[in-house]
Amino acid sequence: MDTNAEKINVAELDSKFAEEVMSYPGGEHLRKCFACGTCTAGCPVSEIDETYSPRRLIRQILFGMREEVLTSPAIWFCLVCYRCYAHCPQNVNFPDLMRVLRYLAIKGKYVSPDIMDRINEIDKRLQILRHDLIKYDLTKQKGDMTGSQ
Amino acid sequence: MNTMNGHKKVMVIGGGIAGVQAALDLADSGIEVFLVEQSPSIGGRMAQLDKTFPTNDCSLCILSPKLVEAGNHPNINIITNAEVEKVADEVPHFRVTVRKKPRYVDEEKCTGCGICMAKCPVKIPDAFNIGLCNTKCIHIPFPQAVPAVAIIDKEHCIYLTRGKCRICEKFCEPKAIDFTQKDQWIDIEVGSIILAAGLAEFNAVLKDEYGYKIYPNVVTSMEFERILSASGPTHGHVLRPSDGKEPKKVAFIQCVGSRDAQAGSEYCSTICCMQAAKDAIIITEHLSGVEIAVFGMDVRAHGKNFDTFIERAQTEHNIRFVRSRVSSVDIDPTNDNLILHYEEDGHIRKESFGLLILSVGLKSTPNLRRLAAILGIRVDELGFIETTPFSPVGTSRPGIFVCGSISGPKDIPESVIEASGAAASAGIVLKEFERKKIIVEYPPETPINDGDRPRIGIFVCHCGINIAATVNVKEVVDYAATLPYVIYSQEMMFACSQDAQKLITEKIHELKLNRIIVAACTPRTHEPLFQNTLKNSGLNPYLFEFTNIREQCSWVHQKEPEKATEKAKELVKMSVFKVLYLEPLSKTKLTVNKNSLIIGGGLAGMTAALDLAGQGYHVDLIEREHELGGNLWHVCYTLEGNETRTFLESLITEVSSHPEITVHTNSEIEEIQGFIGNYKTTIRRSRNGRSKEYLDFSSAEITEEHEEIEHGVVIVASGAKEYTPTEYFYGKDNRVVTQRELEALLEKAENKKDDGNQKFDISNLKSVVMIQCIGSRNDENQYCSRVCCSTAIKNALKLKHLNAHVRIFILYRDVRTYGVKELYYKKAREAGVIFIQYDNDEKPVAVMNENNLYVDVREKIMNKLLRITPDLLVLSNGIVPNDDNKFLSQALKVPLGTDGFFLEAHVKLRPVDFATDGVFVCGLAHYPKDIRETIAQAKAAAARAVTVLNKEEIEAEGKVACVVEARCSGCGLCVEVCAYRAIELDADKHVAIVNAALCKGCGTCAASCRSSAINLSGFRDEQILAALAAL
Repeated sequence: MDTNAEKINVAELDSKFAEEVMSYPGGEHLRKCFACGTCTAGCPVSEIDETYSPRRLIRQILFGMREEVLTSPAIWFCLVCYRCYAHCPQNVNFPDLMRVLRYLAIKGKYVSPDIMDRINEIDKRLQILRHDLIKYDLTKQKGDMTGSQ
Repeated sequence: MNTMNGHKKVMVIGGGIAGVQAALDLADSGIEVFLVEQSPSIGGRMAQLDKTFPTNDCSLCILSPKLVEAGNHPNINIITNAEVEKVADEVPHFRVTVRKKPRYVDEEKCTGCGICMAKCPVKIPDAFNIGLCNTKCIHIPFPQAVPAVAIIDKEHCIYLTRGKCRICEKFCEPKAIDFTQKDQWIDIEVGSIILAAGLAEFNAVLKDEYGYKIYPNVVTSMEFERILSASGPTHGHVLRPSDGKEPKKVAFIQCVGSRDAQAGSEYCSTICCMQAAKDAIIITEHLSGVEIAVFGMDVRAHGKNFDTFIERAQTEHNIRFVRSRVSSVDIDPTNDNLILHYEEDGHIRKESFGLLILSVGLKSTPNLRRLAAILGIRVDELGFIETTPFSPVGTSRPGIFVCGSISGPKDIPESVIEASGAAASAGIVLKEFERKKIIVEYPPETPINDGDRPRIGIFVCHCGINIAATVNVKEVVDYAATLPYVIYSQEMMFACSQDAQKLITEKIHELKLNRIIVAACTPRTHEPLFQNTLKNSGLNPYLFEFTNIREQCSWVHQKEPEKATEKAKELVKMSVFKVLYLEPLSKTKLTVNKNSLIIGGGLAGMTAALDLAGQGYHVDLIEREHELGGNLWHVCYTLEGNETRTFLESLITEVSSHPEITVHTNSEIEEIQGFIGNYKTTIRRSRNGRSKEYLDFSSAEITEEHEEIEHGVVIVASGAKEYTPTEYFYGKDNRVVTQRELEALLEKAENKKDDGNQKFDISNLKSVVMIQCIGSRNDENQYCSRVCCSTAIKNALKLKHLNAHVRIFILYRDVRTYGVKELYYKKAREAGVIFIQYDNDEKPVAVMNENNLYVDVREKIMNKLLRITPDLLVLSNGIVPNDDNKFLSQALKVPLGTDGFFLEAHVKLRPVDFATDGVFVCGLAHYPKDIRETIAQAKAAAARAVTVLNKEEIEAEGKVACVVEARCSGCGLCVEVCAYRAIELDADKHVAIVNAALCKGCGTCAASCRSSAINLSGFRDEQILAALAAL
């Protein structure tokens, strides 16, 4: 190990952050996590963004990296699809944890309060886009098939 | 002796390895055993395994001798296809009602020939092969079943359901089919009961994300054991269920149903890590070029030789152990491959495999609860029979004991240890009862003189169709009659039947036969039976030769019957020429001194002493220090929270005041002479409080005393010691302590003891770092010290209890909280302890900077280097063998393993014995273990010792080595190669002397002697050469 490399000084982190998150409904199971990686392995966001990792986020909360977590875009990427929670062997409700973090981020004025409205707007447009793309794909496929006859 | 009570009787419920071991230990101690088994054969799960870790022995090969022994033992009554329905009254007069269900086959008459199976028209799923293939409605459960008796599945039998068929009955020669059988209720009175009914597997269907029973190429670990087995559905070939092809890539998913709060149980099932590694290694032996990956969390290799096994799997067999749990499994419809989704080093992967094996966990069963209710014993909240760390084989009810996984998942060695331990407890209850007397009288032996003409009788067996279908038995019989000295030659349908024995005896008397050959199956099954027949006929049992024309002929040459018949004739001819040179042999008898010597007065030594004394045997307990207690003095409480000091003190009081135990403190072993039943040991006691090595030679008052003790057995309980760290500034900075030192600090803080010597105020600590695996799992000590993960968590929990705000970081390689200890790992996480995983090639570093102590560690999930500033750095240092293990091992003539601990006879099935009879081992001297395991093993050592001590005399083997002194040059090679230390060089005559009592007749000495000076009776050179010359 290169002892001159950049290090995070644990003493400087916020050791109360984990307890704070746990005090909100949804955050109770946070500490049960044993970092098995099931959540990240099944996460659709992790699949397209390898820097996004639910497992890593939980570690950051446990160590007390308050600033880094609450200013991170990661907490806004979560699709709230619940696939992580469905498979978690320790019943850690990660989507609810995201909800708590989002609440703390807004409350701490790390982001503007209308962020969720903006994300919901993006989601709706993406849904319309997805819907239309599938419709187009199916029409084109049908056309290709009749055309080849 | 209370003769009103009858003799000693115990019931063992459950015929798996644990039940069978307990039954054998009890039976060998003069106790009558009723072994009740639910299924039609004893053997349990172990019979279904292919191989066992870490030795990769074939499971049935090591198990079936025990099954056969139990089946033949005069003190054991096996009741199969039976259940316990009621238990009345109290210890030591339980009245048990057993319901024996009908198998519709008479167990006395069935010879296990298998003709009925061949003829039966109905196919049913084979339960032994977990439904992966079929068997017939009438079937013998598996080839090595004990009893080897068929059973009819009444749900599928055409006659029992619809009144037609009865084909099996038509073809059964001994007329063993009995459709009139009904349920039978048997009342049995016993003194104590041992419950060994085991557990069941987790149903992998509940983890539907893994695709079990959805995709074809997903199997459970037990199903895979059957696939690997040569007697299984694929005859031992590793083939995919979907297309019968060999897979190129195989994956294992660990912890299926274990460590899982959502679908399954929260505890760890203990065995699956090692089972997967073993199966993976076996696959590489079947399929060259196969790629294997094991997906898990921690690798729990906490037993003897386990870590080196895992390392071998990785380095020699290229098996990947991926520290990542699989989130889900998809199927590739083009080839039925499985696609596993997992994350590794920050990358999401979807990897394709041809075969997926789910390592399913163990769990409680409704039958367990039913039995617990009937027996009136408590079940804990995990569904296992409730026990305590100080009483690992005891239940909540006196007189009822448990062993094996029914009290918590455990592996085979632990189950065998607990089984022997339970036998000890069950035996103690019966101390006032008489031993079961087996009165067998044999007629006097007809003397055979050197000049007497050999008169050979040959009996060639059909074995139903097993031999007769391939070998022309009549031809062999006629041929045998033409051979020299053969007076009588006959064929028999089943030579092992009772009728056949009568006939053999008749012919021996009528024709004055003095050599008998039976050409049939394997001596493994029936040699004792035929030897007994000879004894009953007045012939020495060693004038008998068993020729194997089944396993070694008919079964392996089924496609070439003519050649097989020729071979059978040649085998018989060889036997004829060999028996000409057979001579009567006798078994040496040894007297047994009933005293025991126990080396070591710690927890193990004291527990063994009490169990031996509890059965009425006198014990000399030798302790090096000035007081009893050993390492346990340094422990304050267990992981479960029990306080240990009071327990230890009461144990010492009990031992010191017991009339049958003589305690020798300040004493060490000087010399041990003799052998089983006849030991003479000299001990050396120093008067001024320390043993010889530590004597201050400047002192004028050094007195040493010697004492000689005679005894029949030795138990090694000499313990082990802590590894003294040199790393991480230990000894240089007082902020660095061991777990033992921390525990002492915690105990003082909890009991508010301030002796003014406090270096640390526990309640003011802000940050504590614990580093695991100090002095373990490295080049110097390649093993895992087993207890340190639990100790760290135990102390962390206590610390949090005393100081709620302290930050605790545990830096680990694998968290080895196996079994139900896993729940305390969870407690620690919930209490806020942070666990950081590190790899052996990037260990944490302690840095001293201007009197500040830092610990730098790479946090692999965030991939960042962390610097922690602990007020206290606690090293989880391991356990190492004592320095004088070498001296003791030479004094006792027993071996040490490469790890420096004492090496038992067999890692799986003989965990407290040595290859040398009469010596036993328990406790830390054997391997690191916790309090519960130490007590269990000490009890087991006592039970095994009782199997020796309870006999008036011990009979040794008849076929032993003997030295031709005229040819012996005294080179000593035979002494070196003897695994049982049965040969010594006579100093005066300069020749080898065999101790017939210790000799096992293995023949290694005879094979290695360059001068043909040592022969194995029953396999002498001239006997073997005569057989070969006949070909």
